[in-house]
Amino acid sequence: MATVLQELNVEMAAVVEEVEHSLVQVNSYGGGTGAGTIWHPDGLVITNAHVVRRSPLTVSGIDGRILPARVLAYDEVNDLAALAIDASGLSPIKLGDSRRLKVGQLVVALGNPFGVRGAATAGVIIGVGPVWPETPGVAREWVVVNLHLRPGYSGGPLFDVNGRLVGINTMVTAPDIGMAVPIHVAKKFLNDSLRSQVVA
Amino acid sequence: MIGVLSSLSEDLVAIVAKAGPAVVRVEARRRFPASGIVWSSDAVIVTAHHVVEQEDNIRIALSDGQTIPATLIGRDPATDVAALRAQVSGLTPPVWAEPDSLRVGHLVLALSRPGKTVHATLGIVSALGEGWTTPVGGRVDHYLQADVGLYPGFSGGPLVNAEGHILGLNTLALLRGIPITVPSPTVRRIVEGLLADGRIRRGFLGVGTQPVRLPSPVAQQLGQETGLLIVSVAPGSGAEKAGLLLGDTIVNLGGQPMRHMDDIMVFLGDVQMGTKLPIRILRGGRLRELSATVGERP
Repeated sequence: MATVLQELNVEMAAVVEEVEHSLVQVNSYGGGTGAGTIWHPDGLVITNAHVVRRSPLTVSGIDGRILPARVLAYDEVNDLAALAIDASGLSPIKLGDSRRLKVGQLVVALGNPFGVRGAATAGVIIGVGPVWPETPGVAREWVVVNLHLRPGYSGGPLFDVNGRLVGINTMVTAPDIGMAVPIHVAKKFLNDSLRSQVVA
Repeated sequence: MIGVLSSLSEDLVAIVAKAGPAVVRVEARRRFPASGIVWSSDAVIVTAHHVVEQEDNIRIALSDGQTIPATLIGRDPATDVAALRAQVSGLTPPVWAEPDSLRVGHLVLALSRPGKTVHATLGIVSALGEGWTTPVGGRVDHYLQADVGLYPGFSGGPLVNAEGHILGLNTLALLRGIPITVPSPTVRRIVEGLLADGRIRRGFLGVGTQPVRLPSPVAQQLGQETGLLIVSVAPGSGAEKAGLLLGDTIVNLGGQPMRHMDDIMVFLGDVQMGTKLPIRILRGGRLRELSATVGERP
């Protein structure tokens, strides 16, 4: 019979493998790389604004293809960007509820640190909320996580043990402290910016 | 079917929910606040000595959001423990666990409350050892170290085991930035001492020393390689009254050989003030016996 640790390993590997289908690499002009998360099967990718500052942009990691990407919406304050790629039938990530995150809960982040595709780091939620000592910039909502983000995780998914997206990996403020934009902020960003585009 | 990964995650959340209400915010310094732990229902709060930078206008914030004034009962820099009394009643103290059943590799959480909500980091017990003496002469019952992240505001908060019980008080100040947990037996001893006397009384002889190699005939005679050369004598101390002089080498105190830097401090930690102790010294190449009365460390 498998030990609890062996079962944990099997389940952790399974949830990472499932979410990896929704992870892409975002390449910007000059060789910078970050991560992105597939939001919609018809080519909508969410990432950080700081990942897409230098055009032209491409997205790789889907069937070995390199696809040109266009910035649909951009929010410097919340560090979010929406990209469109010419693809369909993609595997979007399941959406979670970042308002219901609990301190101590296990979460996993995926990204492409230093170009290594599909790297994972796991840890617990340290805290959630807008008030944070030592956070640069304005008081914003953050999911703060005790895991080991590195450059290249930016824009990638932070998800719960059921593979549901709860945040967008955004920055590191101390060793083993990762900061993610909560997914309810990302949802609002997409709703507001994409609706206004349609109206315009 | 609920997998073990979900169960583990839910258990961690439950531990935070169980121990979290006993974790309070301590506002006793100008920069961001630190954490403390409810000690008793009559509102004694334990925290880290080093986060209490001001002795007036101390405030405590409870898990229900209430912020209340608190006074300093006492502090012990040697173990980095301080006790406060908050002006409130009916607090619920958490369960404190003895470290006996703890093993290296056990999962543990560090909790804090630097803001309104409780914060948590996860790790394992990295090292678990016997009693040790801190660099400033505090006796700690077990060496307890976990690889939990201690971030600004975590000092004074608890290390919590899988049952949600408190293993001790976390601090970064005892070992120059290395996360250390002052285990529950030590916290209990210090808090009881602070409640009784407002301070922790420790023995004091009044000498500054450094270890030196003994001349080989003396070393052979005594069966020890080193002694402690006196490099300073505090005015008015038991050492001065006993006639100890700069240049004397202490080789034995109260029947215990004195070989290494911390030997005097560790020995005096368990000696009552006012005790008269025989001291064996090497002066001018000859062994002599003196006696000194133990005072209280200033």
